[in-house]
Amino acid sequence: MKASRLLSLIGLQLIAIVLISFSLSEGAIQVQCPGDTDGDGLWTGTEVQPPNTQCIHLAAGDGFVTMADGHLQYTFGFSDITGVLPEDVMRTGMLAAEFPGPSIKVKEGANVYLTLTNVGMIMRPDLFDPHSVHFHGFPNAAPIFDGEPMSSISINMGSSLTYYYTTPDPGTYMYHCHVEATEHMQMGMLANLWVTPLQDGATVGGCASQKYVFNDGDGSTCYDVDFPIQLSGFDSNFHDLHIAVQPLPFALMKDNYPMINGRGYPDTINPGPLPAPVIDGETGAVSQKVSSMISATAGQKVLLRVSSLATVDFYTLSVLGIPMRVVGRDAKILRSSSGQNLSYTTTSVTLGGGESYEVILDTAGVAPGTYFLYTTDLNNLSNSGEDFGGMMTEIDIL
Amino acid sequence: MKNTFIMKRAAWMLLIAAALVFGGPRAYAAIDGITGPTFNLTARAGYISTSEGGSYLMWGYADGAGLMQYPGPTLIVNQGDLVTVNLSNQLTVPVSIVFPGQSGVTAVGGTTGLLTSEAPAAGGTVTYSFTAAQPGTYTYYSGTRPELQIEMGLMGALIVRPTVNPATRAYGHSDSQFDHEYLFLLSEMDPDIHDQVAAGNMNPMDTTTYFPVYWFINGRTAPDTMGMAHDPLLPHQPYNIVPFMHPGEKVLLRMIGGGRDLHPFHTHGNHHKVIARDGRMLSSGVGADLAEMAFTTTVVPGSTADAIFTWTGEKLGWDMYGYTNATHPAYCSASGNPTAAYPADKLSQLPTDRCKPFPVTLPDQTDITNGQFYSGSPFLGSMGYIPPGEGGYNPNSGFLYMWHSHAEKEITNFDIFPGGMLTMLFIEAPGVTLMEP
Ligand SMILES: [Cu+2]
Ligand SMILES: [Cu+2]
Repeated sequence: MKASRLLSLIGLQLIAIVLISFSLSEGAIQVQCPGDTDGDGLWTGTEVQPPNTQCIHLAAGDGFVTMADGHLQYTFGFSDITGVLPEDVMRTGMLAAEFPGPSIKVKEGANVYLTLTNVGMIMRPDLFDPHSVHFHGFPNAAPIFDGEPMSSISINMGSSLTYYYTTPDPGTYMYHCHVEATEHMQMGMLANLWVTPLQDGATVGGCASQKYVFNDGDGSTCYDVDFPIQLSGFDSNFHDLHIAVQPLPFALMKDNYPMINGRGYPDTINPGPLPAPVIDGETGAVSQKVSSMISATAGQKVLLRVSSLATVDFYTLSVLGIPMRVVGRDAKILRSSSGQNLSYTTTSVTLGGGESYEVILDTAGVAPGTYFLYTTDLNNLSNSGEDFGGMMTEIDIL
Repeated sequence: MKNTFIMKRAAWMLLIAAALVFGGPRAYAAIDGITGPTFNLTARAGYISTSEGGSYLMWGYADGAGLMQYPGPTLIVNQGDLVTVNLSNQLTVPVSIVFPGQSGVTAVGGTTGLLTSEAPAAGGTVTYSFTAAQPGTYTYYSGTRPELQIEMGLMGALIVRPTVNPATRAYGHSDSQFDHEYLFLLSEMDPDIHDQVAAGNMNPMDTTTYFPVYWFINGRTAPDTMGMAHDPLLPHQPYNIVPFMHPGEKVLLRMIGGGRDLHPFHTHGNHHKVIARDGRMLSSGVGADLAEMAFTTTVVPGSTADAIFTWTGEKLGWDMYGYTNATHPAYCSASGNPTAAYPADKLSQLPTDRCKPFPVTLPDQTDITNGQFYSGSPFLGSMGYIPPGEGGYNPNSGFLYMWHSHAEKEITNFDIFPGGMLTMLFIEAPGVTLMEP
């Protein structure tokens, strides 16, 4: 990106903030969360959390991330503003897009109130796009809470929409914005989402951790530690043209940054958030918070919640040296209709966009050391022109 | 970018919808196609349209003296039929047909080709015969230079109906029972190849640079996918794809990979149950006991998959018809539970959902963007206020769900979003007559 363009954009950004502040209708930012009275989506002081209730407040806007080769990338995305008072929402949410978005973990059967506030795209003040949350894979969804904007509604800049879910089935899902899906998803409005089963907390089949992927009834999906592994790709040309306010190359879209949880190797193994991106000398918001560093002690069962929200390519993931046992696919346990266990052991899983797998790595008998989780589509072991990186991370067995 | 989904032919659909609402019941339509056991196919050239206004030379199979069509006619036969396909060739190159999944295919006439006998260029003929021994969803395509000729459009679907319950089951067994069936023949196109063939270059294939920019369901790009079948404006693309159902009914998806790329096909609304692949039930011996639940199925080139989709609205946590004690005291008691008078045709949702109030307050009109398929109401069969110029394509206030390639790049038409490999499922309220545009 050229500095001159950025400077002029930052000028526009100031205008946009002024415009957005003026165009806000009173009360358009509103968190609906039972028991919460001050509108921050948390239960504090005398506020009482109703049983089995979960509230989340996400902002949808724009921001920046840094690719593993140092390339600064303009993005759209979500950020977690749960706990932020309504008057502070715009200030907190603007230019704070994360990639991937905040991971959402819910319990089976919870009453989930997810509020989405559209804080606008500060770097693209010419755009007035609405946004949405699509809970991808939600069973028996109703259009009003499905986030697919053609058959329902999406939320305009400066306003909030509260989605409601009862999360009836455990498993690995994902969420993403569905407005202008090709553009908003390529731009980064993607995140991990999973639902834990009611069986958790009970000892079934001798499962000491009391953690399960599904309500399996026999402990066969018992695990000790779990990690979300979301695959995606960025086409840096698309992003660069986007912030340059140029026509978007949908037809030519070709991802050159294959990633796990929004990072290419070696950033994937950074255990913490990546440093905040620096935009033209100014430090932005910390935006890449999901590490893909997998660590466990020998003997533990490691659950990988693998999903793909790639908008272009299929990817094949492999683990060298530890068998991969696939126990679920698309948030459903692998079982025959007569109850036969159909889980299988493999060395790879292949995912297109919108697919998920639950994979357990049983490290019993595995020698301590470093193992790799990587794509066997070897051209995707790259960060654009940089040839050692991309869709790969490490598994540390201690 | 501003969403401008131009439904250039959706006005047709709307008219049909209005007509059907007042036109009384109509029998469920089966998959569009031609029935055997004898077929006369002609390979010829013609131009197809893409939704944003493109026009491309294709080669395709025509039904006898009819127009070239993309995809070729869906051939529908019965299990056990001795199927005969007479192919005549009006193209300037030899062509043929192979029938993957069929055993004992014999060819009479024509000239010897690499995979099968071919109909010579400019008037040649060949006849293929086989017994359709097993029910299921199959494909057929050219066995002559398939890397070029399938791309050019020489492919189609073959459906073999079972001996038992042929109209309502895909495989005879009750696990394959359906109320409505739809074809999802997925393909893609690199226009460079078509432009070169149109310019007379019959050797345009460089597979290393193959780069599709169009994606089709049943030979159409969205929004044409949702236009009416046999639209005179699309003479070479007769098949549409707009699935319809009521809550609790079962839709059979017959998915076929008709091109060279994989496509992750996602059903909004619910999982679908993949009951068969390549014309065989996923079975250890008893029905489709090895069926796989999926919210996205990878459709593989040259391969088929059959899936059953259903949707009941269960466990939403609120009454999907909007019935509460306040609005419908006859249906809902003061304690918020359904009474015996709760409508009998609306029982697909669970008793625990019935009469439960809608859980949130929706934003004001000024704060939202209404989708063109939104009824203005969160409730099935209810219409709400939508500002003029918004909404409008959901005349019966159904619940609509996008079914699409989840490689989102593929829901575009050559730089125009949305388009491509996309359609909408209509779940209509109980009692609403389903339209088959
Ligand atoms: Cu968005
Ligand atoms: Cu999705």
